Amino acid sequence: MTQRISIDPVTRLEGHGKIEIFLDDQGNVANSYFQIPELRGFERFVVGRPIEEMPLLTNRICGVCPEAHHMAAAKAADAVYHVDPPRTGKMLRELLYSAFYCTDHTTHFYALGGPDFVMGPDAPVAERNILGVIHKVGLEIGGKVIQMRKYGHNVVEMIGGRKVHPCTSIPGGITKGITEEQRKEIEEMGRWAIEFAQFSLKLFNDIVLSNKSYVDLILGDVYTHRTYYMGLVDENNKANFYDGKVRVSDPNGKEFVKYEPKDYAQHVAEHVEPWTYLKFPYLKNVGWKGFVDGIDSGIYMATPLSRLNAADGMATPLAQEQYDKFYATLGGKPVHQRLAIHWARLIELLYAAELWVELVTDPEITSPNIHTKPTEKPTEGVGIVEAPRGTLTHHYWTDERGVVTKANLIVGTTNNYAPIQMSTHKAAKSLIHDGNVNEGLLNMVEMAFRAYDPCFGCATHSLPGQMPLEITIRDADGNLLEVLKQFC
Amino acid sequence: MKTIIVGLGNPILGDDGVGWKVVEELTRQMPTDLSVGLECLSVGGIGLMEHLIGYDRAIIIDAFIADKEDLGSILIQKLDNLPNYSAFHISSAHDTSLQNAIELGKRMGAQLPVDVTVIGIAIQRISEFGENLSPPVAECVPQAAHIALNLLKENVTNSREESHPHG
Repeated sequence: MTQRISIDPVTRLEGHGKIEIFLDDQGNVANSYFQIPELRGFERFVVGRPIEEMPLLTNRICGVCPEAHHMAAAKAADAVYHVDPPRTGKMLRELLYSAFYCTDHTTHFYALGGPDFVMGPDAPVAERNILGVIHKVGLEIGGKVIQMRKYGHNVVEMIGGRKVHPCTSIPGGITKGITEEQRKEIEEMGRWAIEFAQFSLKLFNDIVLSNKSYVDLILGDVYTHRTYYMGLVDENNKANFYDGKVRVSDPNGKEFVKYEPKDYAQHVAEHVEPWTYLKFPYLKNVGWKGFVDGIDSGIYMATPLSRLNAADGMATPLAQEQYDKFYATLGGKPVHQRLAIHWARLIELLYAAELWVELVTDPEITSPNIHTKPTEKPTEGVGIVEAPRGTLTHHYWTDERGVVTKANLIVGTTNNYAPIQMSTHKAAKSLIHDGNVNEGLLNMVEMAFRAYDPCFGCATHSLPGQMPLEITIRDADGNLLEVLKQFC
Repeated sequence: MKTIIVGLGNPILGDDGVGWKVVEELTRQMPTDLSVGLECLSVGGIGLMEHLIGYDRAIIIDAFIADKEDLGSILIQKLDNLPNYSAFHISSAHDTSLQNAIELGKRMGAQLPVDVTVIGIAIQRISEFGENLSPPVAECVPQAAHIALNLLKENVTNSREESHPHG
């Protein structure tokens, strides 16, 4: 009997996703569809507003990474006005962004990805959350997580003017600098962040890498796809979150292309499927071949793992050591196993913390030269940063007054829509055979999601109105056969 | 009792921003003899918990997706009585539920409210950006503000109350 299975993790912060799985006559997976009701109208919403507002408005798009939107919009506004911020202005933005990265990556690992490994994928679902993690590994770790977040928020507030939603980046730089007293405080917090990142990597080493079954899980086939990888790199091809060129490596690890942000449209196109509003970005010069991996398929991934794969290394020494260990342990470059994204995220945490200290100890960081006044006529500009969950592109066109006439955004997770679709499909295929749905389906599919750290919507904080996770099984005529709910 | 009132939502996502509008209304109406923290936030889970540290009581005003309720209906509920949606599976891909976050904070030794009341306002599923509320939701803002003020002044009941401003 042909069946239709629907997995529906309904509502809350980052939008809504729904997975529908169609079985063939033998009860095996024929097709699966990861549907995302896209929030629409942002490009229309910003038309008619001054470009200077974009760093403030766009950081409301997403409740998870407002700092990333703030930075991408600020860089695009720089480009619209053809102005380059002075060195200190750039460093302050990057310092804020590094602190934000530490906060975001910490939250993801301990609250979300960590439970799968610390508690184990087979642990009771009621224990697979941050409370379960601290119960198992100690209260002290929970305290460190809260402390890391507090320090990150403090730096964002000192430089960005507000906690969480910064407001100080403007075309040509930033509106406020830091005092020597603040610098010292930020340095002290940054040095603590380095220790915390090293502690987190040791925890990962002790709990995950020392456990053969976890390493086997990471290296297993279920979450493996040989795709292209995207990430920003600096002039030495080292990974960079804030600036540089976009570099794409192929499934064999070779550089496929490296381009300036302003040229993104020459390299990235978007494929449309009739069953979802959200588009699937792909590499234009490879082409769309469907939801398949391999060197002939233009599907690429943009995640912490992608950034490591696309780069030649990390720009800070401790993170570089971890980078070398990562590839030595996982069998060389590139790494295609999606669960390795969690490890890559911790290496990035260490890089962000090291960069935090490097920037705040720069002799020019307290310089008052933080803004270059725009003098040229505004036209059009692209800003690209690496959001924690993928390459984030903001592109604006303005009239001669600097009023936005058109906008185009490719948000971090959108880059990964096709890979996530492939991962959820593969997880479903591995757990549904001859009409029997393995009980582990929900968690295996969720593990696929969680690795990517997806963010599909924006800050919709509406209270949940339905059950958060539901599987419905229907026959070919759409008749409901069974409803399986996870009571949460 | 040190109290904070939080308007929760996204101010550029139409009716999702109703919590902010209620807090703006409260800012205008708040009697000077009442000492209370007022904040508009777009965070959840751990981030929201961090804003509640140091308070004895919290009133959170948020939108919820209407099921059978009329648009603009107001539901009052203790946080403890609401389902803990991320206790087990994902409800936020990046965080945990407010209930879990408060539990986490308490275990860390943070002073967190013992009493958290949620004032929920029924909206439709939102998918379009905009700064304005729909008329039925906008009309309930004064009433929601009035309810919040009464909660401040009175003992908070544990019972679920429901009102229909349009009917």
